Order: sequence, then structure tokens, then C-alpha cells
Amino acid sequence: MATDRFVLPAPGPPATVAFPPVTRTSLPNGLAVWSVAHASVPVVSCALVLNRGTAGDPPDRPGLASVVASLAIESAGDRDSIALADALARIGAHLDVQPAADVTVVSVQTLRRHLPAALDLLADIVRRPQFTAGDFARVRELRLSRLRQASRVASTVADRALIAGVYGDHPYGHGALGTSRAVAEMTIDEVRAWWSQAWSPAGATFVAAGDVDARTIEREVARAFAGWEAAAEPEATPLSHDAAAPRLLVVHRPGAAQAEVRVGQPGPPRATPDYHALVTLNALLGGQFTSRINRNLREQRAITYGARSAFDMRRAGGLFSCDAGVQSDAAAVAAAEILREFGDVSVPGAVSAEELTRAQAALTRGYVRHFETAGHLARALVDLATYRLPDDTFDRFVPRVSALTAGDVSEAAARTLRPGACTIVVVTDLDRHRAALDALEREIEVISVEF
Amino acid sequence: MRVPFEKRTLANGLDVIVHNDHRVPLVAVSVWYHVGSGNEQPGKTGFAHLFEHLMFEGSEHHRRSYFEPLQNAGGTLNGSTSADRTDYWEVVPAEAVRLALWMEADRMGWLLPALTPENFETQRGVVLNERRQNYENKPYGLAQFTLARALFPEGHPYSWPTIGETADVLAASIDDVRGFFARYYHPANASLVIAGDITSAAAFEMAEELFGAIPAGPAVGPVSSPAVEAKAREVVMHDRVDLGRLYMAWASPALFADGDAELDLAGDLLANGRTSRLYRRLVHDRRVATELAASQSSRELVSTFQIVATAAPGQSLQTLRAAIVEEIERLRHAGPDEAELERGRAQAEAAFIYRVQSLGGTGGKADQLNAYNVYQGRPDGFDADLSRYLNATPASVRDTLAQWIDPDRATVLSVLPGDRDQPAGA
Repeated sequence: MATDRFVLPAPGPPATVAFPPVTRTSLPNGLAVWSVAHASVPVVSCALVLNRGTAGDPPDRPGLASVVASLAIESAGDRDSIALADALARIGAHLDVQPAADVTVVSVQTLRRHLPAALDLLADIVRRPQFTAGDFARVRELRLSRLRQASRVASTVADRALIAGVYGDHPYGHGALGTSRAVAEMTIDEVRAWWSQAWSPAGATFVAAGDVDARTIEREVARAFAGWEAAAEPEATPLSHDAAAPRLLVVHRPGAAQAEVRVGQPGPPRATPDYHALVTLNALLGGQFTSRINRNLREQRAITYGARSAFDMRRAGGLFSCDAGVQSDAAAVAAAEILREFGDVSVPGAVSAEELTRAQAALTRGYVRHFETAGHLARALVDLATYRLPDDTFDRFVPRVSALTAGDVSEAAARTLRPGACTIVVVTDLDRHRAALDALEREIEVISVEF
Repeated sequence: MRVPFEKRTLANGLDVIVHNDHRVPLVAVSVWYHVGSGNEQPGKTGFAHLFEHLMFEGSEHHRRSYFEPLQNAGGTLNGSTSADRTDYWEVVPAEAVRLALWMEADRMGWLLPALTPENFETQRGVVLNERRQNYENKPYGLAQFTLARALFPEGHPYSWPTIGETADVLAASIDDVRGFFARYYHPANASLVIAGDITSAAAFEMAEELFGAIPAGPAVGPVSSPAVEAKAREVVMHDRVDLGRLYMAWASPALFADGDAELDLAGDLLANGRTSRLYRRLVHDRRVATELAASQSSRELVSTFQIVATAAPGQSLQTLRAAIVEEIERLRHAGPDEAELERGRAQAEAAFIYRVQSLGGTGGKADQLNAYNVYQGRPDGFDADLSRYLNATPASVRDTLAQWIDPDRATVLSVLPGDRDQPAGA
């Protein structure tokens, strides 16, 4: 068939993609073991999802979960800190430890032929960290320096101000790195106590994806993690509260070259029945380059390099927020426009059929991109484990999103978005740009953010 | 290690490289133009990068954003600019590959009719905001600009930042930009990779149909540049930071030249990661530094070898510098231990395997095939590239450092806590 060379071609019908089958088993100590075969490159991506994260920090010890994580990957087993790093480097393995809000994830990417050695090292880190006084002193000093450095980064200051403003004293209301005050007061005994409670097979899941069969994974995990004793499972994090009063929190940053703007509010947990409607809402509102907010602030007003909104959905609630670095004189315009976009999209009829179709297509046609590599598949399994999602979660996504109507999306928006109660954070040179904030018609609360 | 491919060159000079990988129904498209900020002239910097923005704003037969059709087809896309080259890429579901290729072809052949003063002004504003966000508003954000100005002689193509000087971006005219496009953005100065769930026959057929009619454009010669003299240079700047940071930099062997891989390995064993000599000494044992990094930034004309160290609170940069100089001198005279180098080789080999997991995007297989093709004229550079690392010896690392990395002839930048010397955005 002849086609006109100069007419934009439409994509063909989408392929149906199924998430590869997950093989599941568990060890007698309660550790769940999940794996997915992905034969391409001789690489295996593994992750151990521990059932406690930064929300489990004691109220007077923000940062404890993260200090434990940093310290566990220092000296472990019969190796000191340097020897452990050397052993990992000699097999080309990449180790990472991420303290998230609900879980702590220790992951390792390794060549297939080094899988047993990599799992031995992972087991040392998880089961046999040494927590020496020397490592503790050094890690604590480095953490204090890192906090000082972070306090100078405008975007980090803005993020920290937002979560504190939105969550208040809820366990999600502090950053993973903690505060200098808490880190300075921590003791090695607190580290040991937290580790012995939280780094336990109870409620933990080991996931693996790569060029390896499930029996090999099960055998190797059993070898490395058998006999690991379980502690009691932690108590669940209480649900985060509803939207607070509207606030305008301003951090004065002398000489700032631009303003960092955040607009946010509490959001639903990952288990919300509105999940698919809200993901679709975000795609058309602020989650993509072509979304309403970025088109407005970047492509029409040219006041930012980019603006993005996101739902951070967790076990016990979440955050919905939009962030942008903007010209200092445009901070109020940016915040006001973001709030207006939140409100506009919640009105019945606000979402046209065409806009909905575009967002659905972007999400459903592109879904396969999230499952391309072993690393992608391992991350997907980490999500299943973290949020205890049903087995068919990934296979339901495309049909669920495709079935949504424009009404479903704007109703979910109306149920969820509270532009009138959003917290606004602006990090800017207040001496030079105070007047620019008057347009928001909110009382300016000048705050300092604790690092 | 093999990444199988077929390569053909169209009559207009466009290299087309196809790699089949049918594991997932995705196709990666990568277009490299062999133009970067190094092709710019003093006073007219930032063009290649500004251009990267304009390439997403529409072309003659699709006079609107490039993001919309591709995102609505489930694709993802972006571009990036360096001193040497500019790349544009898409990763799309296999059923949208024709759309991605059509759009790349339309902006390669028919961009200028859609370039409007309004688009131009908008993207100029976006770029200035990008500069503020990524450099001016970040602690230490302007240090690399200062270091490059000090290391390279005036007028050297690597002496200005890829994002451009603010004054130049403000002064750029739409006619300047049109001229820049005509000279550099055409098939004879470009390379196209199509990688993923597609047959070679279909890929070459689409490439010929969509790109074949675009005129070749003028030949682009190599960039000429003044020599970089190896000599001591000292620069001090102040920034709103809490901890001082020391940068030591040298001009070093160009991308793929003798010694390039050796310096990459030397950077790792000197200052990258917990096993490195300087980390052990300065962070682990003496606790006088908080962060350390070394890099061999490989580029076509000349590379830069750099060590960066951040002081611990209360520690002077002089302490760090003395230790760095001592460790460099040790390596220049005795070379690394064989066991140390063995570890570096193992890491390099693993990194090469990890790198071929993704089809597209920055660093994916399509990007790497283009890199080897543009810089070396053949896409199958993987094995030869890796063998440079596997064949490095303690003696070759020692000799490379002895020849190039002389502590007495380093460019040294000290960033000290204080008020920023130049007002941000100036």
C-alpha cells in the first residue's frame, strides 16, 4: 500500500505482553524466595526486601534505619570494610542498600558465574555485620558531613520542607538521612538493637531475576540464608492523616540563582482502589513531558526547565506533589498555576476523551518498557514484595487502565486532590523576591529546615 | 563479547546500523550527529545544546512537539549534547518504530521550515532555566566551568561549557541557529542505529524510504584546536558550601588513544570506591576527606584526567593535596600491584557485560553501536575496547601516568566556603 511520505504514521496495534511467571518458595525461617527467568545476558539481579524502613525510625532517632544500612555494608563476616569492598569488586558485583520508607532493600547485581560468591557476601552483610566502633565513628562523621552538604542543595531543602510540612510528625515526615542532632546522639547499641529487630527473615522477601533457573536460586539462597533467625515482625505504620491547613513555607536562601517550588498534600496508599485512575490522572496532569503542568510552565511560559507531579504511594498513605525549579520572579506564578491545574482537572468534564485516550495509550503501550532487563524485573518484584500486591498486578494493569472513562479519572481526582489544602514550599532569596510571593495571598511562614 | 549488527551507508552518506534482539517487543532508535559544543566558536557558544532543544519543537510535516506522538505511542525519548557529539533517541514498542524513524527523518531533512521565532524564544528561556537549575543554583555547580577555562587555552573548543555562556545564549539569533543546522545536521554527518525487535530487511527498507531523499550536506572536517600546554595553574574560587573541595586536572590521551584505558583504570585504583588507595588513606584511615572521585573523561581532541576530593570539616585542602600528590608519585614510579590491576580488569569486564542489557537510551546498545561507529568508523568496537583494559599492565599504567599526570604540572582549583565570587546568572 502506498503511503504519503509526509504524513505522520500511526503506530500499529499494540502487542500483548505478559509478565513472566514468578516462581515462589520460602525457607523454614520465613524468608520468601521469588525468582523470574530472563535469559539474555549472563547477569543476575538480586534484592533482599527487609520488612522495615525509615518509617520505623524511633521518633527521636530519625536516620537510624539509614545509618544501620550504611554500617552493615562496612565490615561484615570475617572481612573488614576494605576487604569486603575488595571481594565485591573482584567479582565485578554491584552492591546497593536503599532504606525506603516501608522497607530496606539490599541489592546486588552479579555475573551469573559469580552468583554463589555474591550471595555469600550478601549473607555476610545481612546476617553478620560487625558494627565495629571504628566503622561507626567514621560512618557517623561522613553522615554528618553529608547532611551539611545536603543542607546547601536547594532541591533537597525543598523536598525535606515539603514532607515535614505535609506529614508533620507522622513516621513518613522525615528524610532517610535523618538529622545531625539525632545522628550525633546515636549509639552503637541502638544500631545493633535496630538491626536485630529489623534485619530479620520475618516478612522479608528475596527476589532474583536473570539468566538463571529458579532451582539454582532456591538452592543458593537456602545455602546462604538457612539458619538465619527471625525476630518478631514490626508493627504496621499508622495511616497518614488527611490534608492539613494550607501553608506557604518559605526557606530563605541568600544568593539563590532560582526558586525551588513544591506543591504537595497527603495522598493515598498503594493499595487504593483508585490506583489505576490516579496513575492515569498523573500521566495527563503532570507525570510526563506532554502533561498539562509541564506544557504550561515550560513550553508556554518558559519559566522552568521542567515541572513534574507524582504520587508517592506507600503502605500507610502517601504524598502527591509537584516540583519545579523556576525563575525567581516566577515562583508565585508557578505555584498558583500548579494549584489551578490541580483544581481544573478535578471538575466534571475536565478530561476530554482525546486527552484520556492519549494518556491511556502512553501508559499501556509503553508498559513493556518497564520489564526490559533483569534489573527492571527485579525492581518489579521488589514492588510486589514491598506493597504485598497480588500476583497478577502487572498483568491487570493494561486492561484496568484501558477500561477507565474520563469520568472515572476526574472523579478520582476530585476524591483525592485538595488544592485548597496543599502545602506550598518555596526556597528562594527572600530578600530579593519576597514581593513575588505576595500574589499567592497566603501568609508567608519563613522556616528553617533541620538537617 | 558480540553485539551482532549489519551496517549499510545510504547514497547520501547516512550510516544505518541494525541490531536484532527479539526478547522484548521494543525497538531503540539512536541518531548521532557528529557535532557538539566543540564545533562552536567563542562568542557563539551553547548552539549545539540550544539546537538539541529546538529539535523537539517540530518539523515541517509535524509542526508541534515531538514528545506527544511518541509518548502517546508508548515511547520514551530524549537527547543529549557533549563537546563532541549530539544524540537523539527513542525507545518505542515495536509497532511504533516507523513513527520514531519518520520523526527522526523529518527533523533531519525538514527542520528549518518549522523553526519559528516563538519556539526559539521559548527554548532560549528553557535553556537559561536549565543552566540555573543544573549549574548556577547548585553547590560547586560552576566549578567545572572554571576548571575548563583554566585548563584549556583561550579559544580551545573544550574551554567553554556545553550549555554555553549565558551572554552567548542571550545573543544567539535565529539566523545563527539556521546556519549551524545547515552545516552540521545532515545525513553525511549522522549515524542511525535501529536496535531491537525488528528484522534487518524491514529496518533497512524503512531507513532508505524515510531518510534516502535527504540531501547529503557539506562535508564536516575535524575540529582543529591549539595544543594544551602541560603546566601548573592555580585557581581559587568561593562558593556557598560548607566543605572545601579540591580539583586537580590534566590534559590526557584522547578517546581510544594509547593510555586512555590505562588512565581510566588508574582513576579507579587511585580514588574510586572504598578499595582505592586515596579512599583508604584519606577517608577510611585518616578521616580528613569525605568524598573522593577520579575520572578519565575521554574525548576526541584531548581527554581530561581529574581527581576531586572534598575535605572533612576543619581539614585543609592542602592536606588532601599533599596525599594525592604522594599517591600519584608512587604510581608514577612503582606502578600498581598486579592484584590491584586484576581487580580493575574484573570490574571493567563486568561493566561491559552490564552495559549491553538495555537496548536504548543513553548508554544502551544502540548508543554504544553509534559511539563506536562515529568515533572509530565501525560499530563493532566492543571487543577491541574491552581488550584495552584486559591488556593493561602495571608497566603500561605506570608509564602513562609518568608521561601525562605530573603533579607539578596540574591545573588545580580550590573551592572554598564563602560568598560566591560572581553573582549567579552573570
